[in-house]
Amino acid sequence: MSIAPLLRKIFLVDLIKGLSITFSYQGPKDCQTEQYPQERPQIADRFRGQPLMKLGENGETLCIGCNLCALACPENLITMKSDRDPVTKKKVMTTYVYDVSRCMFCGLCEEACPTQSLKLGTGYEMALYSREGMVLDREVLEHRTDPEPYDK
Amino acid sequence: MISHFLKFLSFQGTPGEYGSTLWATIYILVIFGVASVAVMLMTYLERKVLAHMQIRLGPMRVGPHGLLQPIADALKLLIKEDIVPEGADKFLFWMAPVAVMMTAFTGYLVIPFGRQHAVTNMNIGVLFMLGISSLGVLAVVMAGWSSNSKYALMGGLRSAAQMVSYEVAMGLAVVSVLMMTSLATGTGTMSMIGIVESQQQQGSWFIFKFFPVGLIAFAVFAIAMVAETNRAPFDLPEAESELTAGFHTEYSGFRWSLFFLGEYVAMIGVSSIAVTLWLGGWLRPFPNALGGASWDTAFSCAPGILFFGLAAGCFIGFARMPKKPSFKVQAIGLGVFGVVLGMIGAALLVPAVRVRVQDIFWFSAKVGVFMYLYIWYRGTFPRYRFDQLMRIGWKVLLPVSLAVLVLTALIGVRHELVAGLMGVTR
Repeated sequence: MSIAPLLRKIFLVDLIKGLSITFSYQGPKDCQTEQYPQERPQIADRFRGQPLMKLGENGETLCIGCNLCALACPENLITMKSDRDPVTKKKVMTTYVYDVSRCMFCGLCEEACPTQSLKLGTGYEMALYSREGMVLDREVLEHRTDPEPYDK
Repeated sequence: MISHFLKFLSFQGTPGEYGSTLWATIYILVIFGVASVAVMLMTYLERKVLAHMQIRLGPMRVGPHGLLQPIADALKLLIKEDIVPEGADKFLFWMAPVAVMMTAFTGYLVIPFGRQHAVTNMNIGVLFMLGISSLGVLAVVMAGWSSNSKYALMGGLRSAAQMVSYEVAMGLAVVSVLMMTSLATGTGTMSMIGIVESQQQQGSWFIFKFFPVGLIAFAVFAIAMVAETNRAPFDLPEAESELTAGFHTEYSGFRWSLFFLGEYVAMIGVSSIAVTLWLGGWLRPFPNALGGASWDTAFSCAPGILFFGLAAGCFIGFARMPKKPSFKVQAIGLGVFGVVLGMIGAALLVPAVRVRVQDIFWFSAKVGVFMYLYIWYRGTFPRYRFDQLMRIGWKVLLPVSLAVLVLTALIGVRHELVAGLMGVTR
């Protein structure tokens, strides 16, 4: 054995190097941990989460009942029924059911929507105690836009 | 009653020397309590420091910055189900944690936290300490063998092999210190208090004596003591990735917590030996270079200042808490904790307290450095393989400690001869 590696071994240079590295990591500034319920993460605008239906300026629905979202959905989880309005002769959406429990948040429904009514929003806290609650109807989609924040 | 108390306070010695069973019992109970609290603190610090080394936060939820985590842990362990595996030797299984605890705590009898702050001044202190701590192996083997589990048995066997082989190097390193104690007086001592006093007399901690001989002996001991307490990187008996939990695989709840307590108490105990033998025990730093009454006063203020520093840290944490209602309780808790620490610091600055406490403070500060080192090692080093472990023990540490022993003897004899020729009277 040549002299340099031997000396390195005797004076435990490698071990001391390792010790110095772990010591320098102790600064709290390096820490990336997020204190989740108290500190909430920054969510990007294009994040695909909690589905919602946008409303027009006067609170009227933007949906024209075209059924394109239901057709686009690979999981067939959107059920839509529409009727023709006898006066205006326009299609009007009557029931809309979105089953989030089967959703994979691919965003194809959102892209298919011609009026940008349906949107996968930024809400991400969708855990529930029952499967029934995962089936969202029109009322929920239109009015629960933001998830209820945790405060405790 | 009061006069009895005052008489003891004015006596400059240990309860053992004072000859009072009552005071010795009180000291034992106090040491038992303080050691247990220190272990709780140590578990918190270990999780926290280790987390920071791994760029995590560690416990943050129970109390401000997770300060109440040890209490939550202890509570959890106490209410856990206590399982005895089928086919286990019930008596030994029950005895093993008790034996671990007893061996770990018995050694504290001779640890001198200060000149007056030891239970007794035993004339074979070091020998007693080493003997008792070796008994811990027996408890570990008992636990591993009686569990009727392959993992536990493997852990117990590894532990036995490891502790026995490192004890040799450890003992030889200790002998070199015992030789050093005989330098000025002509007769050495094994009493822990005597060793510290001889360091005081010779005007040098034994780590700096005959540089680098003392340092090497200390290094051998420092490595062997990590192996002796089964800590990373020598934690083969409890190697998680190989043996689940090693010798205490089958233990749960309260009995497991006894093992845990025993391990940490043993860590503190072994560090105390190292501090006493090489780092001047309760002596403050630079007693000669920075001598004199004013320096004495300055150094005796250190405990108070330390507590003020901790309080300041709490207040900084209080100020830097996020200004959200959800953090309010935590912030207030941290603030109150800071105030309490500040008050303790103020109490430690009172002259009567200051003089009595400084011994204990310097001793625990030095032990604390070792505790930090233990955590630091665990955060840095990967585990050794068993053959590597044995190679270090027998092929490196043992020859080195033998060489140190011979060198100490030679230098000591030369030193004495020179002193004799110069006609130095003792």
